[in-house]
Order: sequence, then C-alpha cells, then structure tokens
Amino acid sequence: MNIEEYISSGILEAYVLGELMEAEMAEVQHNISLYPALRAELVKIEETQEKLLIQLAIKPSERVKSKLFEKINEKPAGKVVQLEQSSFTTWRYATAASVALAFITSYLAFNYWNKWKASESNLTELIAQNQRIAQDYNNVNLRLDQIESDLKVTSNPDFARVVMKGTVNAPQSLATVYWNQQTQEVFLSVQSMKELSKENQYQLWAIIDGKPVDCGVFDSNLAGVFKMKNIFNSPVTFAVTVEPRGGKPSPTLETMQVAGNLAKG
Amino acid sequence: MIKKDQSVLDYLYNHYSGALYGVVFRILKKEETAEEVLQDVFLKIWDKIDGYDPAKGKLFTWMVNIARNQAIDKTRSKEISKSKKTDDLDILVNRFDRQENFEIPVDTIGLKEVLQKLSPDQLFVVSQLYLKGYSQSEVAEEFNIPLGTVKTRLRLAMIELRSLLDIK
Repeated sequence: MNIEEYISSGILEAYVLGELMEAEMAEVQHNISLYPALRAELVKIEETQEKLLIQLAIKPSERVKSKLFEKINEKPAGKVVQLEQSSFTTWRYATAASVALAFITSYLAFNYWNKWKASESNLTELIAQNQRIAQDYNNVNLRLDQIESDLKVTSNPDFARVVMKGTVNAPQSLATVYWNQQTQEVFLSVQSMKELSKENQYQLWAIIDGKPVDCGVFDSNLAGVFKMKNIFNSPVTFAVTVEPRGGKPSPTLETMQVAGNLAKG
Repeated sequence: MIKKDQSVLDYLYNHYSGALYGVVFRILKKEETAEEVLQDVFLKIWDKIDGYDPAKGKLFTWMVNIARNQAIDKTRSKEISKSKKTDDLDILVNRFDRQENFEIPVDTIGLKEVLQKLSPDQLFVVSQLYLKGYSQSEVAEEFNIPLGTVKTRLRLAMIELRSLLDIK
C-alpha cells in the first residue's frame, strides 16, 4: 500500500469526522493497526481536531450537569452484585489505564524512534557534506600548490620567456615557453591551442644550430605551467607541430602551429 | 451505582462538556434541545465507555462522534421538524438555518486569529465543518465544490492548523 497516497486521500480526516461507512471504518482501523506511520498521522489529525474543538467550546449551563448525575443515580444498581461489580469495574479501569499507558508509551517510543531516525539521517548527510568540503579544500590546496610552483617559474628572472605566436596554420593559437639556461629546464604554458583528435598530440621543438630538438609532447588541454624535456644548448627558436600521438623523432614542419624566437640577451 | 465510576464521568464532564456542547449546539442552534442532547451524549458515553477501544482512536474522537451523531439524529427527529415547521425541509437537508451567522465565542479570540491565518478556501471548509456542523459531502453539494477538492482543502487546513495550534 502507498501510505503517502492513502494519507493524502483525506480518508483519515473523514474517519476522525465520523463520516465513513462501516466497511470503510473497518478498513481504516485495520490499516492503522498495520502501519505505524498511518497511526502517527491519525493521532495528529485527532489532536488537531481536539485542540480546535476545545478552543471552540461553549460552556453548557450548570443544570445540565446536575440533571445528568440525578439521572445516573436514579439508575437501579443490583445490590447483590454491587461489591463484585465494584472490584470488577475497578480492575477494568486499572486494565484500561494500563492499556492506555502502554499505548502512550509505545507512541512515545515510536516518536523517539522517528526522531532518532531523523537525527541519524541528518548526521549521515552532514558527514557526506563534510567529506565534500574536505575534498573541495584538497582540490583548492592542490590548485594553490600548482599556482605557486607555476609562479616560481614565471616570476623567476633566470627563465627566458619565449612567446610563440600562431602561424598561418593556426593564427589564433598562442603558447609560451620558459627556458632556464643554468638548469636547462624547459616549461610550457598554453594560452590557446586548437583541440586535436585522439590520434594526434602537439610536440614542442627547440631549434638549435638549425636543427630541431624534441622537447616532448603535450595535449591541447594542458593546464598551468608544464615541465618539458630539458635542452642542453642554447636554442634560437621554439616551435610546436602536430604529430601522431607519442611524437616523432623529426618534426612535420608543414603542421607547425606556433613559433617564437628567443630574444638575444 | 459505584462512586468511583462517577468520578470518571465527573472528570470527563468537567474536561469535555464544553467542547462537546459546542459541537452539539452548532448543529442544533437551540439551547434547550442542545442541552437535552448533551445530557443524552454523556449518558451514552457513560453506558458505552467499556466499549471504547483505544486502538481505534483517541477517547476525545470517540466522544465527539457520539455527540455529532446524537445531534444529527435529533435534527432528523419529529420533535425538531414540529418545532421549526417553516424550516422543516431546510433543517432536514441542511441541519440548521444557514442564514444565521454563527459567532465565534469571545473567549476564543485567539483562535479566531489562528483561523484567519488559513487561506480563504481552507478557512471556508474548516468553518463549514467545525463551526457550522456540515459534513464534507454536504459542503460539496451545497456549494458546488467537487468532494475531492473539499477533502484536499480540509487536509491542507488540518496540516496548517497543526503548526498554528502547536501540535508537534
């Protein structure tokens, strides 16, 4: 049974208002004995009605009460069974009271169980949230480390900066090489390069004494400042060509994308 | 009969006679008849209390439904038809004269404010059911609102009233 649907049909409100046929009433009674969630909802509807009607109370005149008790005391009570009935009725009320107490206790237990469940799910959610935040924090930290190490290269005066501009093949492309003569390190940062098919990669070349020297391959989505292969002699020009994935020993010059000369200094 | 039992009845009367009389009076609109029915209601409660089953609902719900049924039965009895001949048909169909506006008692001004917080649609349904004593199907028929809509509005109003009446 779909409890939500059953509740939203309004049948519990109709039950509390005493508007149901006998068969429907029996059905509701059966269902509330099966599903604690239905019972909890019913109790809320009943409490709402009770509180509403108590606030809407109209005080009847005193004579009603006195007449009522007169009438009750008129009722003949069998003298012989009086004592027996008395103790029996007492027991009956004691039983009713203990049943009511058990009922209240189980309702409270159910209530607390619900609250506990809610807290538990809140806790799980918070833990997950915490993990997400920790993950984000780690990512930010990594990114910060990256930026710091990039900055060490780009702001270091020992690095010569070579801007490689787009050739006729790719006028919009732009990339920058940083070369350190002392340590012979080469770094590359891509400002804008076209996306390549999976089969191809970009390859960076240093032209030394008129000969191209391989500086390594990279993909078009390269982020930050990326370390390439060291070169041992002072280059004149840096250039990037498109080559099959993994690179080639010598460049395919007609695919040249960007190129730039090292400033003499 | 037994003293102890009467103290139970005394307790129930002291705590609930006002709420039950409110229900009965709103249906019958006549003090004399309403008082008579209220007495019958408590006699019935007194008689049938052993048959009350907590598994089926709260004691108050059980008592209120006895009160409602007694009052509705009364509207259908000859006694009422005779005493209000001119309204005979109206009363049989509608339980009481609709033209008459029922005033919310002064001591429930707080409640009036609470009820004003309901949307007009919800307030209308709650007033018809709880202040005027209609049943849901009567509201649907009389005001030409689909029964499903009446039920939905009542349901939403009852949920709204939970927070307004501070039911956790």
